[in-house]
Amino acid sequence: MKLFMPLITALVLALGAAGFANKAQADEDPIVIGAAIALSGFVAPYDDGPLKGLQLAVADINAKGGVMGHQLKVVTADTKSDPAQGTNAAIEVLEQGAEMVMVTCDFDFGAAAGLQATAAGKVTFSSCAGDPKFGVQGIGPLAYTMSLGTPAQAATLAEWAYKEKGWRKVYVQMNSMVEYFKSLCSNFKIRWEELGGEIVGEDVYNFMEVKTFEGQVTRMKQNTDKDFVFLCAATFDGPSLIKQVRNAGENTPILASESMDGNFWLEAVPNLSEFYLTVYGSMFGNDPNPRINDYVTKYTEMHGQAPFTAHSMTGYSLMEAWALAAERAGSFDSDAIRQELDKFDNEDLLVGPTSYTPDLHINLYRGMQIMEVQNGKHAPITRYTAEKVPPITF
Amino acid sequence: MLDRCGGLDFELIALQYAIDALSVGGLYALAALGIGLIFGIMRLVNFAHGDFLMMGCYAMFLLAAAIWPLTILGGVLIAILVALITERVAFRPLRSADPTILLAASFAVSFFLQNFVLMIMGGRALGVDIVPALNQHIAWESLSISVLNLFTIALSIILMGGLSLFLTRTRIGIHMRAASEDVRMARMLGVRVNLVVAAAFAISGLLAGAAAIVILGKTGLVLPTMGLRLTLVAFVAVIIGGMGSLTGAVIGGYAVGVLEVVLGGLLPLAILPYREALIFTVVLLFLLFRPGGIVRVAALKERV
Repeated sequence: MKLFMPLITALVLALGAAGFANKAQADEDPIVIGAAIALSGFVAPYDDGPLKGLQLAVADINAKGGVMGHQLKVVTADTKSDPAQGTNAAIEVLEQGAEMVMVTCDFDFGAAAGLQATAAGKVTFSSCAGDPKFGVQGIGPLAYTMSLGTPAQAATLAEWAYKEKGWRKVYVQMNSMVEYFKSLCSNFKIRWEELGGEIVGEDVYNFMEVKTFEGQVTRMKQNTDKDFVFLCAATFDGPSLIKQVRNAGENTPILASESMDGNFWLEAVPNLSEFYLTVYGSMFGNDPNPRINDYVTKYTEMHGQAPFTAHSMTGYSLMEAWALAAERAGSFDSDAIRQELDKFDNEDLLVGPTSYTPDLHINLYRGMQIMEVQNGKHAPITRYTAEKVPPITF
Repeated sequence: MLDRCGGLDFELIALQYAIDALSVGGLYALAALGIGLIFGIMRLVNFAHGDFLMMGCYAMFLLAAAIWPLTILGGVLIAILVALITERVAFRPLRSADPTILLAASFAVSFFLQNFVLMIMGGRALGVDIVPALNQHIAWESLSISVLNLFTIALSIILMGGLSLFLTRTRIGIHMRAASEDVRMARMLGVRVNLVVAAAFAISGLLAGAAAIVILGKTGLVLPTMGLRLTLVAFVAVIIGGMGSLTGAVIGGYAVGVLEVVLGGLLPLAILPYREALIFTVVLLFLLFRPGGIVRVAALKERV
């Protein structure tokens, strides 16, 4: 052991020196973009895509000469899927000189990192937190989210189902465990009844787990009046419910939101049909917007696999947005960038036209791609924008 | 939209709920047996039981490309193997320790297994279809009965029958019962405790593997935390049924299944989110008024 000690000391010193050199360089030339997100744990799958999207955007921007001649560089820190660890992760990327910070795709899991980063005076984006609280009102004037606000997602789904599908009677299935689901379902119901639709049945469950849904499915089957089922769930519970509904011989159309994006769960319900959902874009190379298909191709080249979900596009677009605002401000000063971001009026970003105002740092009137799944295959139907969004509450 | 079947009549709805309840109850009974068996012999409340199931599910997920009997067999074998390794590595060195230490050890095992899978497979829920035939349903009158539900009911009855025969007709089964009555006395009379405990873990792994087939058939998803809820439910079932009694565990499992399905089917919407809370309330009531559960076990009294 004694023999090894000098070696280990030398190694530690060498690594430390290398780290110091890196930091010194970073201070001088590249602009550091920090991602204080879940790299491990149960939230990691939701942050993985946005980080890879961010990395692709940085590569694209650097290839075009960077921002005002400065190259960009991404550093990461792990929140370990623990909301309380967010603060430490934010401090970690700030200490490495982050000029802009991306945090987790959810208000609850991203808020702590967001508060820390904005307190340090840096513009902070959540990739896809759908809660309007992730902005001026909940975090501070430097906080933004690239998501389409949950009330807007709900209105998009309601209007499309009512106007384009001609459905009138809905059966609502909700997992009340997650704020996003509750907000999605309640806003959907508001807009649905406003449109003149009828809610013929409802069910609620409360568990963040893989579970069986026997009683619930039988209860739902008794309701023969419904045109479709509206589902407020995600890929950790939704597929099980859909599987049990289909296994029980119930083929009613099911409508869901972007939290059901991706085809990695489709094996759970072989040959799933009559399933509809909204997404930021199709990740299957068949989006009507060629720019999104290009994105999928480049992403696949860079990361060796296609994006699991279109949430990755929000990571790409927040980088686009910040770079655009910095160019316009002609400065890396956070306040100057914030002022430019607040002037965004239907800026043409990858996720779609994006606007911010000094009071509202989330988008409400941006189209989403409606997809259908028939025989286990995703196909795009149309890009749809809600006409009227229920009033948001903070 | 046209009204397709004009509403179901009462008897058929009741029958549908009965099948649901028997199927969910059968699943819970299998899980409760796995926990009850180990508790009976070691006084260990094994919170890692659901993780044996989870490991079995992941094995089936990885073997999904094979023909289905192989997929299922692989999953069940992995569940048994994980149970046996856990017994040897984590619980055998602690055999004479206090039950609370055993409980803490089982939490550690559970935590380890979940994070092990999380590290290797990631936290994303992945879809899998192990036995396509189980996705079918049989249309009868205006009912449609899922094949999986019938399979679950049959599987749980067969395994319970098999376990009961094993415990009463085989030498090692009889030793197992002797050990659960009084380990020290059984050892003095020549029962090889190591073998008996290992056998009990193998059986509990087998039960977890069987439950894994059912849960994967029902949900089609693998997730590192997927065993958590089943462990909780099985634990609840064991408390209601009576700690230390296998008959009690089975009764408890069916009771929770019936309760869950009936509450899910009949509760008004306003109370529905509290369905789980209501089930746990029943447990509290049992703990307060009949702590021994439905089936009381004499062997436990002097130990408590």
